[in-house]
Amino acid sequence: MSFPLSDVIVGILSTTLQLSPFYLFAGMGEIVSEQAGVANMGLEGIMLLSLMTTFIVDYATGNPWVALLAAICVAGVFGCFFAFTAIRLRMDQIASGLAIYLVGLGLSFVIFNTVYPSGLTPNYIPLPSLLTNWNTVPYVGTIFLKQDVMVYVSLVLVLVTAFFLTRTSLGLRVRAVGENPKAADNMGVNVNKVRFLAVIFGALMFGVSGFYFAGNFVPGFQTDVIAGRGFIVLAMIYFANWKPYRALFAALSFNLVYALQNEYVSLSGFGVASVTTLFNMLPYVFLLALIPVFGRKARVPKFLLKPYRKG
Amino acid sequence: MVYAGGNLEVALSSLFLNPITLAGGVQQIFVRFILFYTMGLGVGLALKAGLWNIGAQGQLLIGMVMVFVVYTFLAFLPWPVLYIAMILGAALGGLLWIAVPTILRVKFGANEIVVTILLNVVAINFAFFMLSGPIKSSGTALGFPHSIELPAQFKIPNIVGGTPITWAVPATIVLGIILYLVVERTPFRVKADTVGESHETAKYAGISIPRVMAITMLAAGALAGLAGATYLMGYRYELDIGSFSTNYGLVAIICALVGRKHMLGIGLASFFFAYMTIGAESMALSANVTTYVVFAMEGIMMLGILLGNYLTERRFLV
Repeated sequence: MSFPLSDVIVGILSTTLQLSPFYLFAGMGEIVSEQAGVANMGLEGIMLLSLMTTFIVDYATGNPWVALLAAICVAGVFGCFFAFTAIRLRMDQIASGLAIYLVGLGLSFVIFNTVYPSGLTPNYIPLPSLLTNWNTVPYVGTIFLKQDVMVYVSLVLVLVTAFFLTRTSLGLRVRAVGENPKAADNMGVNVNKVRFLAVIFGALMFGVSGFYFAGNFVPGFQTDVIAGRGFIVLAMIYFANWKPYRALFAALSFNLVYALQNEYVSLSGFGVASVTTLFNMLPYVFLLALIPVFGRKARVPKFLLKPYRKG
Repeated sequence: MVYAGGNLEVALSSLFLNPITLAGGVQQIFVRFILFYTMGLGVGLALKAGLWNIGAQGQLLIGMVMVFVVYTFLAFLPWPVLYIAMILGAALGGLLWIAVPTILRVKFGANEIVVTILLNVVAINFAFFMLSGPIKSSGTALGFPHSIELPAQFKIPNIVGGTPITWAVPATIVLGIILYLVVERTPFRVKADTVGESHETAKYAGISIPRVMAITMLAAGALAGLAGATYLMGYRYELDIGSFSTNYGLVAIICALVGRKHMLGIGLASFFFAYMTIGAESMALSANVTTYVVFAMEGIMMLGILLGNYLTERRFLV
């Protein structure tokens, strides 16, 4: 069976775009959080909890929008908790982030398993496509109209985040407390309050990412189902030098490499896991290869990972 | 709710007593202890120099793969040589795996957290590739790829016939003491601490920062790889996908932090976490909860210890 080349290309571009929101929402959240000087390493734990919430609420109500709201709320609660430990208690951010990850990893499955002990679940109801009759528009339909609205929300979010960080006074304060909290404090900025807000915003975005993971990445919940893809966001924004547009570029190129190898593997029909797994490494190796190119010029926010104590 | 039916006494006795009273409990504690301690030593060593090795899990996997690579491809070697080669091969594998973040960190200044995280995912795929190809057991009845089981002469023997403790336990403790003497009782400790505290100070003091970073990171990788050898040859004997599932690397980080980066303190922390992990697993089973609750417990324990630290000393772990 042979496929027309145009279909293959359309499929690759469609997948690239479809997978991006997961990395973009979380990426923008983590950029804002880290620009304010707080790295949230617990992001994958928060994503797992909101993903679990998404599935359970979606099964119960049949309404993905309610599930989104619930996922964001759960993420917000854990974001507050992380912010409290990292900012108020001035715990080591990496240690407390990893602790939150472990809590999320364990708790998400325990709760899901308690609600669905047999593992049998109803069908997940995803968000609708942008147009129900996307099929009628050739090429463009599959690439752009088949996607749900979150794809476009995430693209707008990149614009908004870039604007927010460089053009608004709150955005400038966010960057100030990450670059030089002392000076910001002297200028009358409430450092820890700004940091708190930034971390909460980040966590809410992880919630949206967790929500988007459902349906677009996996059909149902399992343990550790995000499998490190949340942590990849940390790598992406590192290459992006904490700049939203470059994070968009990193996410799209990562997904393009993923979609290319995915398409190649499925077309060539290796069937054997051994070759497939080699190709599965490609997107990550691609990101690694970017390090000597971009990582060299990385300018870490100066007070990243450093708690601030007034006076 | 599942917990409602359980009673506190049963839960507590499962948590604290089952690890030593149940069959195989003691063995399990020491298996985890070796794993956490060996990896934790490396993580702690790198932490002294201010470097985060989040990739101990990846190095552990590569170490386990290397045991079988050496066993398969150097099979012509005589028994004792091959035995040692398998252990050293595992350490070498971990060392080579961490060489990538080390070089990127020292030469390009790339953040080691990001690179070790990325390499964890690559390691899982690579191990899976090796397992379903080069080191696959030919007699695969099940759908899941797995390696052969190591022959008896390559298993680490028990100390005395009846005890569930292998020679790997004293060997690991001796390794910890050696590292304590080499790291904590020599000027190296000051060098590593200085690099960890402030690169400016280290530069001023004439300490070679790249050298300290390279030594601690490479040692961390080698130790995590070595943990792979003792785990496989002392307990698991064969490699399958199940060996990839639990992130022991994160527990090793917790042990290193709780042990305050001290080579002997990490040992105590590792034993504590090994004991608590087995206890929590047994408690989960007796309360009919999935054992994944253990991860949440480990996270909460870690937060609790961080909090205790805050409350008692108003100082911070790192």
